[in-house]
Amino acid sequence: MAARVTWVEARDFRNHPGTRLDLGEGLTAVVGPNGEGKTNLLEAIFYLCALESPRVASDEPLVRRGAAAAYLRGELEASGATALVEVEIRPSGANRVQVNRSPVRRRRDVRRIVRAVFAGPDDLEIVAGEPGARRRFLDEAVRILWPAREGVITAYDRALRQRNRLLKDWDGWGTPRGLEAWDGELAAHGAALTAARSEAAGRIAIPAARAFEALSGGPSEPLTLTVEYRPSVSGDSLEAAFLARLDERRGDELVRRTTLVGPHRDDLALAVAGLSARGFASHGEASGAALCLRLGLASAVREELGEPPPILLDDPFSGLDPARRRRVAESLGSWGQLVIAVPDEAQVPEGAEVVRVRGGAVVGG
Amino acid sequence: MFEGPIQDLIDELSRLPGIGPKSAQRLAFHLVKVPADEARRLAGAIVAAKEKVRFCRECFAVSEGDLCRVCRDPGRDPSVICVVEESKDQAAVEKAGVVKGRYHVLGGAISPLEGIGPDDLRVQELLDRVARDGVAEVILATNPNLEGNATAMYVAGLLKPLRVRVTRLASGLPVGGDLEYADEVTLGQALEGRREM
Ligand SMILES: [Zn+2]
Repeated sequence: MAARVTWVEARDFRNHPGTRLDLGEGLTAVVGPNGEGKTNLLEAIFYLCALESPRVASDEPLVRRGAAAAYLRGELEASGATALVEVEIRPSGANRVQVNRSPVRRRRDVRRIVRAVFAGPDDLEIVAGEPGARRRFLDEAVRILWPAREGVITAYDRALRQRNRLLKDWDGWGTPRGLEAWDGELAAHGAALTAARSEAAGRIAIPAARAFEALSGGPSEPLTLTVEYRPSVSGDSLEAAFLARLDERRGDELVRRTTLVGPHRDDLALAVAGLSARGFASHGEASGAALCLRLGLASAVREELGEPPPILLDDPFSGLDPARRRRVAESLGSWGQLVIAVPDEAQVPEGAEVVRVRGGAVVGG
Repeated sequence: MFEGPIQDLIDELSRLPGIGPKSAQRLAFHLVKVPADEARRLAGAIVAAKEKVRFCRECFAVSEGDLCRVCRDPGRDPSVICVVEESKDQAAVEKAGVVKGRYHVLGGAISPLEGIGPDDLRVQELLDRVARDGVAEVILATNPNLEGNATAMYVAGLLKPLRVRVTRLASGLPVGGDLEYADEVTLGQALEGRREM
């Protein structure tokens, strides 16, 4: 069995006034020129599962111009059970979410049903961008693998902001009062977040490397991708190590008035053929590595839950030559549900169900 | 922006905790529509509460008199102090019926983001009580969230040299929540299972 979205309806969502899409159990290719609304459909599928966009932080751009709200409805299927999810997205104010016609108290309970993985051109930033993009990817992986550990991410973030404010507002005499108390909170939540990120990176590393090997031509033409978590704090007893590091950096922290130790300074080291991907990978290698990180995450989710999550690939082939395209399509041939958005018919993989999108509507299969 | 008294009312209401500008506007427009005697009753209740409600001079819980009901009760064990953030938390702990001692209301929790530091809380008053009354145990029953934990840790650090037993609520309460939302049984268990800090 595979977790999947069986159908989705998007009303006043981006450029879709009202679109219904029925999805098969295997590969679906959504075909349309750029700007016609194919990525928006993938975004709608992801939103239905995750209750957030994979592309934008605010919901405002999701509501079609002139509409009061956007609506998404659809059916999720996982572990043999189905759930009808309905979302009203309002440009400002809280969204309304219902599952099987009952309001939802905790978003997390919806997100854990089907853990879709979205990969798109923006992922290049994970490989080529600042460490912050890689930390966001790691946190996303933690949330999707273990929804209950989301609280660790928010708790650390708040502890960090509290401690930074204390350092910033300090009058400069002695030491900031209560700093040790915030050290304790920062270390407790920071150690938990470090452990979670480390575990997530460990789960992703091997399947991502395997996907990259397949993409770059298999063992005859070996190009390896290595994924390695570089935590700000490491040690056998993380919390104790964290407190010791804080103690070492105290002087610097008081001078610079900000927290210098902790997961907000982590990085994820990515190397292609042993060289840092950020500086040395070609554009094609970098987009390939980004795609493989997402595929690695999807494999980790399959490992964790025992069934493959839906994978939503937005324009995965444009950076790849035809041979590589074929290899990606082949390597995903036996995956569960897979929805691919491509700009032209030539990129549609063999055996795909085809959906054509024009001007915010499905114009035929 | 509106003119005159209605804007004054919106401004005053939006200074209340948990009331944003939008809610303040909604409340203000509601209030100007209610019958005059209803408005007068509300205004009267606010003024009366302000004039009559006081804080217990021992524990700083909301009290009608100089001393609150718990501090007046000779049957309570003066050697145990249960520290809470707000008076409403004291009420929640009382309902659980586990604490046989007295209380100390800090008046909030440390939160640099909201500009609340140790000096804004009644921490010194707690230290004075502990030293003066020969207190044997201080139970830190601040909320089981980030700010509550940090406050407990800060207070525990100050109590350490006073050689008093310092305990904290057992985990098991919904993390990130407030004491007042915990049910009596769960809160009772968290108090029974408190651990040394
Ligand atoms: Zn009292």
